[in-house]
Amino acid sequence: MRHKKIEKLLSNNIDGELPEKKKKVLETHLRKCSSCSSYAENIQRIHNEAKSLEKLEVSPVHWEEFTSRIKTEISFAKKEKLEGAPPFLRWKWAWAGAALLFVIVVGLFLYIIQSKTPQEVYVFSFENSLAKIYQEIGSDQELEELFNSVVLASIGETLEDSGWGDRPDFYENLILWESLTEEEMRFLESEIKKDTKL
Amino acid sequence: MNGNMADFADDHLVRQAKQGDIDAFAELVRRFQEKIYHTIHSLTRNQQDAYDLAQETFMHAYKSLSNFKQRSTFYTWIYRIAVNLTLNFLKRRKRDEKREVQLEDYSLDVKSAASALSPEGYSMKKELSEKLNEAIDSLPLAYRVSFVLVVSQGLTHTQAANVLRCSENTISWRMHKARKMLQQKLRPYLEGE
Repeated sequence: MRHKKIEKLLSNNIDGELPEKKKKVLETHLRKCSSCSSYAENIQRIHNEAKSLEKLEVSPVHWEEFTSRIKTEISFAKKEKLEGAPPFLRWKWAWAGAALLFVIVVGLFLYIIQSKTPQEVYVFSFENSLAKIYQEIGSDQELEELFNSVVLASIGETLEDSGWGDRPDFYENLILWESLTEEEMRFLESEIKKDTKL
Repeated sequence: MNGNMADFADDHLVRQAKQGDIDAFAELVRRFQEKIYHTIHSLTRNQQDAYDLAQETFMHAYKSLSNFKQRSTFYTWIYRIAVNLTLNFLKRRKRDEKREVQLEDYSLDVKSAASALSPEGYSMKKELSEKLNEAIDSLPLAYRVSFVLVVSQGLTHTQAANVLRCSENTISWRMHKARKMLQQKLRPYLEGE
């Protein structure tokens, strides 16, 4: 049998938990194995020492005091229990129920109020954003003029790049889409299509 | 009164105590106070902590008597309460790391069995006892509790398993490992003799 198994059997044997059958196996092994015998002696000694460590004698007076203190504590706890909890604590469940009811009522009230209020659903779009910018600019004349001049300059630059800027009346007659007739628009559209080869 | 109480079995006293009989509970305290105290002391190594925890154990037991269904013995149940309270206390103490473990605390009227030996024998025994105490304290908590219950308190593996709510095999294994660790730590002192 392996030594590790023997060591476990030795431990069980010291605790009186080893069956007779295994005791014989153990004895046989110990007779021929010096290292296990030495281990057995050591753990038996540790066991005996540990048992004697606990042989502390506490004065009987101390134990009488201990018991009477426990009795006093119990009597006190019992008296407290008989007297019951203070009125406020006795009503603790009523208070807790009232608080819960209050929370539910307030919650329902807020839910109803909120569901009645029309919700403004904002969906981001380029058109909406542009409309807001125009609205903002339109409320300030100076800003509107500045904005127009910047836009016109930008259109001018674009047209100039495309050759329209060579016309002599270009700067005096900047083309604004709003001022074009339907016929002119169709013409422009056909020109753009040619350019982009659509 | 106490004389009469001493004749009753634990179960009977528990039933009486459940009905509010303080004397019956006091008799149970009388029967187990020393064992509970020594078990706690073996784990805390401090007289005052052991005293306080023993008191807490019995107060906790009294307050929980109505929950005790008597499926196990009162003996197992009270040990379980004591061990759980002590383990919680030790974990708290380890966390705090403020309090020193006092290996020698003789503030109460305590006499060691070793005091009956000759001065030389006493000195040698004291050294081994101190080293043994240190070695036991250094064991992992689960091994230490099992060791204390089985060796110091003389519980069987079955009883220790009931207290610690584990299997007998677990107790057997812990005992074996605890002994092996102790033997390794104490080998120089054991061989020196």
